[in-house]
Amino acid sequence: MTALRSGIRRTTLALPVVLFALLALVAPGFLAPQNLANIIGQITALLIVSLGQMLVALVAGIDLSVGSVMSLAGSLVATQADPLLGIGLALLLGLLVGITNGLGVAVAGIHPLIMTLATATFLQGLAYLVLPIPGGQVPASLRGLVSSTLWGVPQPLLWCALCAGAVGLLLHHTRLGLHLFAVGAQARSAQLNGVPVVAVTVSAYVACSLLAVVAGIYLAARVASGDPTMGANFGLESVTAVALGGVQLTGGVGSVLGVLTGALSLGLITNGINLFGISPFLRGALTGVLLLAAVCAQRRKVVGL
Amino acid sequence: MLQAARTMPDTLAHPAAADARPDLIVVQGVSKRFGSTAALQDVSLRGRAGSIHAITGENGAGKSTLMKLLAGVHQPDAGEIRMAGQRLQLRSPAAARAAGISTVFQELTVLPNLTVAENLVLGREPRRAGLLDHAAIHAEAQAVLSRIGITLDPQRSGASLTVGEQQLVEIAKGVSTDAQVFIFDEPTAPLNRAEVDKLEQLLHALKAQDKLVFYISHRLDEIFRLCDTVSVLKDGRWVATEPIGALTSERLITLMVGRELQALFPPRASTPPGVAALDVRSLTPLAGGASARLQLRRGEIVGLGGLEGQGQREIVRALAGALPPAACDVQRLGRDGQPQAYDPRQGVAHVVALGIGLVPEDRKLEGLYLDLPIADNIWLGLLRGLGLVRRAPRQRAVVTDLAKQLQLRAGSLTQDVGDLSGGNQQKVMIGRWLAAGVDTLLVEQPTRGVDVGAKAEIYGLLRAFVAEGGAVLALSSDLPELIGLCDRILVVRGGRVVGDVPAAEATEEGLLALALVDAPANLPGVPA
Amino acid sequence: MPAWRRLLRAALALPPAYAGLLLLLLLAAAMRPQLLSAMLLPLIARQAAPLGLAVIGQSLVMRARSIDLSSGGVIVAVSYLLTSGYFEVSDATAMGLCVALGLVVGVVNGVLIVQTRASSMIVTLAVSMVLTGIVVALSQFRAPGDAPEFLRELARLRVGGVPLPVLVWLGALVPAALLLRHSAYGRSLDAVGSNPQAAALSGLPHLRVVFAGHVASALVSVLCGFILVGFVGKGSITLGQDLALNSLAAAILGGVNFGSGRGGMAGPAVAAFMLTFLFNFLTSLGLGEPGRLMLQGAIIAAAALVYSSRR
Repeated sequence: MTALRSGIRRTTLALPVVLFALLALVAPGFLAPQNLANIIGQITALLIVSLGQMLVALVAGIDLSVGSVMSLAGSLVATQADPLLGIGLALLLGLLVGITNGLGVAVAGIHPLIMTLATATFLQGLAYLVLPIPGGQVPASLRGLVSSTLWGVPQPLLWCALCAGAVGLLLHHTRLGLHLFAVGAQARSAQLNGVPVVAVTVSAYVACSLLAVVAGIYLAARVASGDPTMGANFGLESVTAVALGGVQLTGGVGSVLGVLTGALSLGLITNGINLFGISPFLRGALTGVLLLAAVCAQRRKVVGL
Repeated sequence: MLQAARTMPDTLAHPAAADARPDLIVVQGVSKRFGSTAALQDVSLRGRAGSIHAITGENGAGKSTLMKLLAGVHQPDAGEIRMAGQRLQLRSPAAARAAGISTVFQELTVLPNLTVAENLVLGREPRRAGLLDHAAIHAEAQAVLSRIGITLDPQRSGASLTVGEQQLVEIAKGVSTDAQVFIFDEPTAPLNRAEVDKLEQLLHALKAQDKLVFYISHRLDEIFRLCDTVSVLKDGRWVATEPIGALTSERLITLMVGRELQALFPPRASTPPGVAALDVRSLTPLAGGASARLQLRRGEIVGLGGLEGQGQREIVRALAGALPPAACDVQRLGRDGQPQAYDPRQGVAHVVALGIGLVPEDRKLEGLYLDLPIADNIWLGLLRGLGLVRRAPRQRAVVTDLAKQLQLRAGSLTQDVGDLSGGNQQKVMIGRWLAAGVDTLLVEQPTRGVDVGAKAEIYGLLRAFVAEGGAVLALSSDLPELIGLCDRILVVRGGRVVGDVPAAEATEEGLLALALVDAPANLPGVPA
Repeated sequence: MPAWRRLLRAALALPPAYAGLLLLLLLAAAMRPQLLSAMLLPLIARQAAPLGLAVIGQSLVMRARSIDLSSGGVIVAVSYLLTSGYFEVSDATAMGLCVALGLVVGVVNGVLIVQTRASSMIVTLAVSMVLTGIVVALSQFRAPGDAPEFLRELARLRVGGVPLPVLVWLGALVPAALLLRHSAYGRSLDAVGSNPQAAALSGLPHLRVVFAGHVASALVSVLCGFILVGFVGKGSITLGQDLALNSLAAAILGGVNFGSGRGGMAGPAVAAFMLTFLFNFLTSLGLGEPGRLMLQGAIIAAAALVYSSRR
C-alpha cells in the first residue's frame, strides 16, 4: 500500500549495496568490526536529522535550520549540569523553532528556504552566545546513553532504530502521516477533502526540529562536549541524504527506508574517504557534488528559487 | 426541434407525492463577488428532499459558484443558506461535509500518491487506539465501491486511474459519507456509457433514500432523463425553477440564453477577407487526441465557440506555441502574402517573432505585470524580437499614443496595472501586442470580467485591428459576444471543429445546439 | 495633493535602507560620534565596497526570482588562486584565471538552474561547498600566501580622499544602473521578475535573463574576491564567508525582492553601506559575532515577512 509513495527505485537501493561491496573489496580494514561500528556511530546523527528533513520534504518544504538547531541543542546539554534541564530546554527550543518555521511558511507564505535560512542564522548566533568556543561538559549519564552497548547491541544502533521506528510509525500508521503525503502531493485537493493543511505543515516542521534536537544531543553526548558549529554541515548533508534516498523535494513521495539508504550511502562514502586517506576536507566538496547530482535529477516546474 | 429522451423516472409519475416532501436546502438572496466581478446576485432557490434537482445555465452563469458556496469552498457576501430550517455557516469544505453536504467537484481531488482506499477515507480516516486502522480502511473502501457497483481495486494508486475512474472515486467518496445533500458538478463529462449508467442508477437510489441531489449540467438529455426539477441561472441571477414536466428543451434553452442584445458591437467587416494569416490544415494539440482544421484570414475576426473544455483552449495554445502540439500541418502568410516559416513546436518566442500574439484568459496570472506601471506593461511589447543585448527603445510617445487609442481610464500611466479595473487591464494586454506590432491575435475570452462599457471599446479595438489587415481568433464562451463580434464562428466539440457558421446567420439557440452532444439536423449552420 | 504629502508618500515608499541609515547616523552621532569622523567614515565606506559589489550581482539575480549564494566559494577560490602560487604565472594572468573561473561558475550555476530547474539556493550553496572543499583540501598541501602587490595597493590607495575600492564600487554601480534602465536585458528583467509566465507568453527570453544574471553575479563575486584579498593582504580560507547572506539582507533592505526591484540600484547600495555601518556601530557598542548573526537572521525574516504580506 505504501510502496507507491516511497520513491524507492532500484538505483536507490543499489547505491549503498554497491558502495559496500566496493569498499569491502578495495578498502583496507573496511570489514573490521570496529570500523563497521564506527560507521554506524557516525551516521546515526545524520540519519536522525535526515528523517526530520524527509518529513518536511514530504510537504514540499525544506529545513536548512537543522544544523543550527543541532549545534544549539548540543551546546545546551553541554552547559547544563542537570541533564534533564538540558534536554528539556533543547526540546523546548526545537518546539519553538519548528512552530516558527512552520507558521512562517504556511501562514505568512515565506519561502521555506528563506525562512529556514533566517532561523538558521539567528540560531547560530544564539549558539555562540550559549557556548562561545567548543567546550562544556556533557553530563555522564547522557554520555552513557551513546557510548556503550545495551543488551549487546551498540547504542547508536538503538538510537537509529528508535527514531526510524517512530517516524515509520508516524508515516504509515497515523492520520498525520497520511495527511503529510496528501498535502505534499496537492495541497488544494487535500484541503477540499478536509485535511487541515496549515496544522499538518507546522507539524512537519516541528517534528523536523525535534529530531534535529535529538541528533544534536546524541552528537554532543558522543563527543562528550559541545561545539557551537557542530551541526554546520548537517543542513545540506541531510538534504543530500534524503534526495539520494528517493525523497522528492517537490513533496508527496518519501520513505524511512529511502532515508536509511541515503544516509548509509553518505556514511559509506565518508568512511571510504577516511580509509583511503583522502583529505577529509574533500568530503565537503564531494557532498556538494552529490547534492548537485541529486537535486538536478529531480523534476520541477519553477525556474529559480 | 430538439428531441430529448423521454424516459421519466417513476417518482415523477406521482407528482403529488413528490410535492409533499419538505424543502431541505433553502438558498435565500445569496450574492458573491470576486474582485470586480459579480458571480452571483441575489440568488434564491429551494431544493426538496428526495429530488434530483438540475442547476443549469450557460458558461459563466454562476452554477459552479453557487455550488461552491454550498460546498464550503467560498462564503457568500450576502444572503443565507438554510438546511432543514437551520441557518448554515459553511466556512470550509470540512464544515460543509460535517453539515451533511457532500460534493463531487468538477476539479478532481483524487491524490495521485494515495491508494483508492486511502483517497476514499481521506479526512475521516478510521482509527483504532489512535493509529490508522488499515483493515477498516480497506473494508470500508471495498464496501462503498461494491455498494455503488464500481469494480476498482482499492489498492490501486490514484495516479494509475483514468480520468473516468477518478471521477467514479470522487462519486464514491461523496456517497460514502452519511450526507443528506449531494452536489454533482458536471459528473458525466469523463465517463463512458457504462459508467454513466452506473451513475444514474446511483442517483435514483439516492433519491429513493430521500436525499437531495443537486446536479449541475449542460446536457439536456441527462437533465430530462434524470431530474425532476430544474433551476436556471443566467449572468449570476436566478431565472426560473420549474418541475421537469413543465419544460421542453426549447423552452429550457430559451431560459438559458436570449438576453437583450445591446448596441455593443461595431459593424462587421464589409470587405471580403484577405489571405490566410493562419491556414491550419490539421492540428493535433494532444497526442492521441482529436485534430482540428480551420482557417483564419486577414481582415476577419473568427470566433471559437462551444462548451467549455472541448479543446478550444488547446487549439489556441498550440497555435501560440505555448503548448507544443503533437502534430501539426500549418501554414502562415505574412502581410505581403509571402509564406513564413511557421512551426508552433518551436515555442512562443518563435511564434511571437513571426507576429502572432496570445492574449491569455487569466490576465492576472499569465498576461499582466501587476506590480509594474501601465506604461511599462504596454511598452514591454516593444521588446519583441530584440533579444537581450540591444539597447531598449525609448519611444515613450508610443505608449501615450496607444493609451489614447485604447481609451484607458486611469489616473496616470504610472499607476500600477494591478489597480486597474478588469476592462482596463484587458485593454493594456491588447495594447502591449499593438505596441509589439503583431498582425495576428489569438485571444482567449476577450471580455471575461469586463464591464459593459469597456466591452464595447474592446470590440472596437479588435475590429479596428483587423480593418488594418490584422486577423483575430477569439475564443469565447459568451454566445452573444461570438455572434456580435465575429465574422465567422467555429463551434468546437471534442477537439474538432463541428460547425462553421457565418455570424450574420447564427443564433444563440443554434450555436448551443451545435455545441451540445445531440444536435438536431435542421438548425442553421449544422452540417447535414 | 499638497506637495508635502506627495513628498511624505515618496519618502515612505523608499526602501527601509534609507530610513535605517538615517536612524543609524543619528544614533551614531549621539553615542559614537567618532564613527562619523573624516578618518573613519571613508574606511567604513571602503569596508562596504565588497558588499556593495556583491549586492549588485545579487540584485540582478533576485529580480529574476532566483538567488546566488555561491559567492563564498568563489571568493575563497579566487583568494587561493591568487596567493598560493600553484601556477607559476604573473599576477595579471592569475587574475585572468580568476575571471575565467568566475565565468565557469556562473555558467554552471546558470545551466543547472535553467535547464534542470533545480532550486537555485541549493545549487549555489552546493557549488560553494564544492569550491570551498577543494580549496581547503589543496591548502593542506600548499598554504595560501601573500596577496599580489597590485591588489594590496588597490586596497590602500585613495583618489582625492576617496578610497579606490569605493571608486571601483561606484564604477560598477553606475554601468549596472544604466544597464538596468536602458538595455533590453534590464527591461526584460522587470518583466521576468514581475510575472515569469506572462514574460514567457509574451515571447521574452525569460530563461536567458535568469542565466545572464547568474553569470554576472559570479563575475561580480570574483571582483569582490580581488578587493577582499587586497584588504587582508594574504590568502585566507575564511574570506568572504558572510558575504552571501549579507548581500541577501542588503538586497532586501534596499528594496529588491524576489521578482521586483523598487529601489533601483541606489537602494541596495545604500543598504550595503548601512549594514556595514551597523555592524561597525554594534561592534563599537560591544556586540560580538553572536549578536551580529542573530540580527542578520532577524532582518532577513522580518524583511521577508513584510514583502510576503505585501504581495
